[in-house]
Amino acid sequence: MSIESRKKPAVALVNKGFFHDAMSAASGKGMPGIRIIAESIPSECVVEAQIEAGIDAELDNIIAALTAPLTAAERTPKARETEKPSRIIFKGNLKDVNRFFYKRGWTDGFPVVPPTEEEVAEMLTGTDLPPSHVVAKLMPRLGKATVEKIAINAVMAGALPTYMPVLITAVEAMVEYGYFRGQAVSAGSWAPCYLFNGPIRDDIHINTGVGVMSPGNIANATIGRALGLIVKNIGGIRKGIEDMGNMGNPGKYTLVLGENEEQSPWEPLHVQHGFKKEDSVITIFMPNNHAQSVVYGTSDDMILRTIAYNISPSKRGTMCILIGPVHAGVLADKGWTKQDIINFIAQYARAPLSHMPYYWKAWLSIPREDVKGMAGQKGILLNPKDSPNESVPIIIPELVRLFVTGGTGGDINMLSGVGRWISRKIELPANWDALVKKYQDIVPTYALY
Amino acid sequence: MVSSQYEVLSPWADADRVPLRGISERLSDLAGKKIGLFHHTKIAGPPITAMVERKLKERYPTAEFRYFRFSRTGDIEYRLDRIGLPGDQVQESQELERFERWVKDVDAVVGAVGD
Repeated sequence: MSIESRKKPAVALVNKGFFHDAMSAASGKGMPGIRIIAESIPSECVVEAQIEAGIDAELDNIIAALTAPLTAAERTPKARETEKPSRIIFKGNLKDVNRFFYKRGWTDGFPVVPPTEEEVAEMLTGTDLPPSHVVAKLMPRLGKATVEKIAINAVMAGALPTYMPVLITAVEAMVEYGYFRGQAVSAGSWAPCYLFNGPIRDDIHINTGVGVMSPGNIANATIGRALGLIVKNIGGIRKGIEDMGNMGNPGKYTLVLGENEEQSPWEPLHVQHGFKKEDSVITIFMPNNHAQSVVYGTSDDMILRTIAYNISPSKRGTMCILIGPVHAGVLADKGWTKQDIINFIAQYARAPLSHMPYYWKAWLSIPREDVKGMAGQKGILLNPKDSPNESVPIIIPELVRLFVTGGTGGDINMLSGVGRWISRKIELPANWDALVKKYQDIVPTYALY
Repeated sequence: MVSSQYEVLSPWADADRVPLRGISERLSDLAGKKIGLFHHTKIAGPPITAMVERKLKERYPTAEFRYFRFSRTGDIEYRLDRIGLPGDQVQESQELERFERWVKDVDAVVGAVGD
């Protein structure tokens, strides 16, 4: 599109599985007539024979795309008629509402809470921003994330009104991150992980302890869920059309964790990055996989080696190490700070050069000067004479965070992803204390047997 | 038992209409033209564009080919947003200047996602 808008004819070759994604992107950016060829070369293929067959099959179409005269619609596209629905989009019982929403592609597959005027009005009490306030326009549709639309999706997810400040801040953080134009639609299936620090954790009962990544807490479950619905219904990012995540990611249902600041021997994540301890902060990053390792032993040395030796070469360098309070205490007692730990892992998480994807040129998007070692070693180029057995670092220490969370058991968990970290302070409404008090006793009580 | 009836609001957001633009006039022929080959940093980009060059060269021996790729993934709008941001290690404005020179030089472009 950038080339076409500079008055040069262009044709895009896309794998046929991405065709609808490409058309959606082109329409969303105002150039629906762009000429796109859905080729049959396997995704990310580097086998010459398969590429040759794919190009041979489309060569006449490629030439025609650059030379065949424009149609009237390509020269002057007309706007597609858009639906102008009434405010009440549907009336029905619980089952019918759910089936209607599901068939419109508005859910994540789970049942939703019907977003009635009454439910949405209650949700809106969680913020003092007006319902019509546009928090952001979310790509690729540039859908308006009004406070009301955020509230509607929050109701559907089963969220409480006290989550509205979190949802609004999270939307802003994801926009700042660039999530909607990048990871949200990537074949890499990156899912936002939302990490919480500060008083908000207790205010809205975000789980910071045992089973921190398991179901069972409304806050952890529905904050992530609501944001997933917002990505879909406001951003317009739907699985298989705009969201090209190949295998997908269960983290797209929810991935919300709180730091166990009370039992951590170290500075919490948000304080490390410039916030005050009393600030409520959300931090996001983009993992696409989760690995758990049983520790090799419970001494500091064994805990650290467990982490360092269980990071695989295919990881992209960004990582959150989830460490329970018991292991954190062992490490701190031996004088390890969070940064010491990260430095140790950066040094000892290594693999033979030939095990790294960039050795096989799998990651062209990494600048050549960063390729070797993936540790910011500027100026060290991947040289054909480098030995394939040379040991190289796997992670980028600047992109690694340590987060104390989870139960008292022996496992270390690692969420690996790509890209940077964004933290934002959560702005709370004036009546926050009253709101917290109103919903604070909504906690589960488990019958003993 | 009578089941409750719900009147529900839509979660689907409104969006402003994006101004629509037509695409550029096509070439009459590729003979003697400069064909730009663009790929977006994914692994299959280079071999696909190399194959396109080879096959087009067989049909149009007088055509010339000019390659371009950005040093990092990201579309033009992403780059425009990132110019001047602190911590950005790629000089986006220099990347864009390089892109503009390339587009100006070519007559048409074949792009490959390679994803």
